[in-house]
Amino acid sequence: MTENGFDTSCGASSGTRILVIEDEDTITEFLKTGLKYEGYQVTIAKDGVTGVDCAREMEPDLIILDIMLPDKDGFEVCRRIRRRDSDVPILMLTAKKEISDKVKGLDVGADDYLTKPFSFEELLARIRALLRRSGRAVDSTELRVVDIVLNTETREVYKGGKKVSLTPTEFSLLELFMRHPRRVFTRETLLNRIWGYDYAGDTNIVDVHISHLRDKIGDKPPCLIRTHYGVGYAFYPGEGK
Amino acid sequence: MWKKLSLRTRLTILYAGLLALLLTILGVTFFIDTRNLLIENTASHIRATAKPIIEHWLYGENLSSQAIEGTKKKPDSKYLKKISRQLARDLTSRNVVAIVLDKNGKVIANGKVLEEEPAPVSPNPFYYRRAFSGENEVTYILSTDNKNVLVLLIPLRSAPGSDHVLGVVQLSSPLTPVERILYRHGLTLAVGTLITLILGTALGLLLISSALSELRHMIATCQSITEGRMDQRVHLPQRSDEVGQLAQAFNRMVERLEASFSAQRRFVASAAHELRTPLTALRGSLEVLMRGAQDDPATVAHLCHGMYREVLRLSKLCEELLDLAKLEISENVQKEKVVLKEFVNEFEEQARVLSQEREISILEGPSVSLKADPNMLKQILFDLLQNALQHTGRNGRIALGWKLGDNGVDIWVEDNGHGILAEDLPHIFEPFYQGKKVSECGEHHKGSGLGLTLVKAMVEAHGGSIEVRSEVNRGTTFLIKLPFE
Repeated sequence: MTENGFDTSCGASSGTRILVIEDEDTITEFLKTGLKYEGYQVTIAKDGVTGVDCAREMEPDLIILDIMLPDKDGFEVCRRIRRRDSDVPILMLTAKKEISDKVKGLDVGADDYLTKPFSFEELLARIRALLRRSGRAVDSTELRVVDIVLNTETREVYKGGKKVSLTPTEFSLLELFMRHPRRVFTRETLLNRIWGYDYAGDTNIVDVHISHLRDKIGDKPPCLIRTHYGVGYAFYPGEGK
Repeated sequence: MWKKLSLRTRLTILYAGLLALLLTILGVTFFIDTRNLLIENTASHIRATAKPIIEHWLYGENLSSQAIEGTKKKPDSKYLKKISRQLARDLTSRNVVAIVLDKNGKVIANGKVLEEEPAPVSPNPFYYRRAFSGENEVTYILSTDNKNVLVLLIPLRSAPGSDHVLGVVQLSSPLTPVERILYRHGLTLAVGTLITLILGTALGLLLISSALSELRHMIATCQSITEGRMDQRVHLPQRSDEVGQLAQAFNRMVERLEASFSAQRRFVASAAHELRTPLTALRGSLEVLMRGAQDDPATVAHLCHGMYREVLRLSKLCEELLDLAKLEISENVQKEKVVLKEFVNEFEEQARVLSQEREISILEGPSVSLKADPNMLKQILFDLLQNALQHTGRNGRIALGWKLGDNGVDIWVEDNGHGILAEDLPHIFEPFYQGKKVSECGEHHKGSGLGLTLVKAMVEAHGGSIEVRSEVNRGTTFLIKLPFE
């Protein structure tokens, strides 16, 4: 934990570089967009040779590697990357469900695998876990902003040393804001991310919960959680001081 | 009960029964024949011995010396009575005893003198009358107590060949020597039959067992195949009999089944695999959108575009899967007369539109017509053209032509593209097969992987065949052989 607190608390620390080696355009598109939104730096390599070169040149913090590549298979690519860099976490994407493929992947040095079609959320979870295990990203369990301390493991929140009791929804909202400072979230996005993709209720529920959250953490102007009228909400830690 | 027995038991019982029946008939026939032969032989021997003695006494010097001068030289009853004792005695030997009977059937002389000579049997009036009426060969066997006696009757004629019979000589001989021989014979036959029967049955059982054991082996194999182990085969030592043929036919059948099953499994697996990529893209894009990307119009447009492409890809895949299924379920070929020259000319116009800068040439062959489904034929040519277009550069050349083949028409589509690797060549007609090098000219062609599979299916639905020749960097030629009908 650094002194100023909020820099490292940008959950997916903005410097984390991910190399995606995958030849399907549509898949690389959404991976690039989605991962950027989560604060990662994304580089795409469309075949194995480029992938190995990129891995050497940019020294990524994590590699997402498809097994089916046009020039050589992912196992070979994985083996080559491992020869240079024994450390970098490699997450393999496989279209096959066969156990043998998974075992082979882990044998040649992959750290984890996902079967297509996978959930993007699960991919994010795996990425976070891999980064944490490799010690490359400071994806801390304790987030600090000004005088608010949020522990994702115990799910406790302290404001100026005093414990604040939050509902699970309020806790998730606060965690999301603290992990993505200054980013504006629309009500739809908040609904999708906190209430789930299949939640079909009114967006007013977001306003209700935000209002409760503000009350509980004693958010007074200039607010930490600010309303962008007609758009949504954003969290401004620096200005709160 | 019979049906409940195992096939092996039933066959063995049948086999042994038949064998026993056959051996018994043979043995009995042989035994009876031998017996008759021996008895006849004995009888004719006795007769042959008796004949000169009788002739000597009836018609010999004795008669001349005894006859009164001037009277006819013929024996009569009186004369018979006179010589009967000596005649009977002369005819009697150690095995044979003779008695002489007069015209009334009365015994007038008995040849038995010595103790060891057999006792004569009392004459049977029935046979006596037959012999007395002039029958020469009256022979019968008389069974007394436990002894069989051969009895021969010889009429005594007043002159050789005369109808006038003075009396009858009865020769009787016990059949003991013959029966001894027959007993030995019968014993040998019985033992032989029994041994043959046992050996035969054992051998039969062995043969049946060995034939059936292979059947049992096949049953076991069938069962393990039923349990899903399609790689099982019947292993029999090289044999060309019916069981061997059955085993071979069975193995061939299982081989075909296994091939078609594994092709089906591969197809399903590849189809599922092919569905995964678009699904992954769609799912991921949607999630990214919902997680916040939806708020940025540029990103939305970008992701939506990609998603639309994937949906199109899925639809195409779906259609092609359906087509393939359709083809496989029913060969809905609707044949009609197709004049090849007209057909290709029509196709050429549409092909030029598709091929853009590439050069297309038609090499016309002899004017022929064939029975084919024109829609499918067009589909075949379009797919091959599409394939050629995908594998040639911008200044590629594609040629289409036909010639007479054996029993049909050979149509070819040739390109000068970058060819197919030899290792990929045998697999290109498999569904979703992707070569080691998908593309070398930089452009990334993503077919569905079903195009050539469908072409092959359509050609085969016409009773034709398709061949491919290819050389890397030289080009590829597809040759379709279609029958006239």
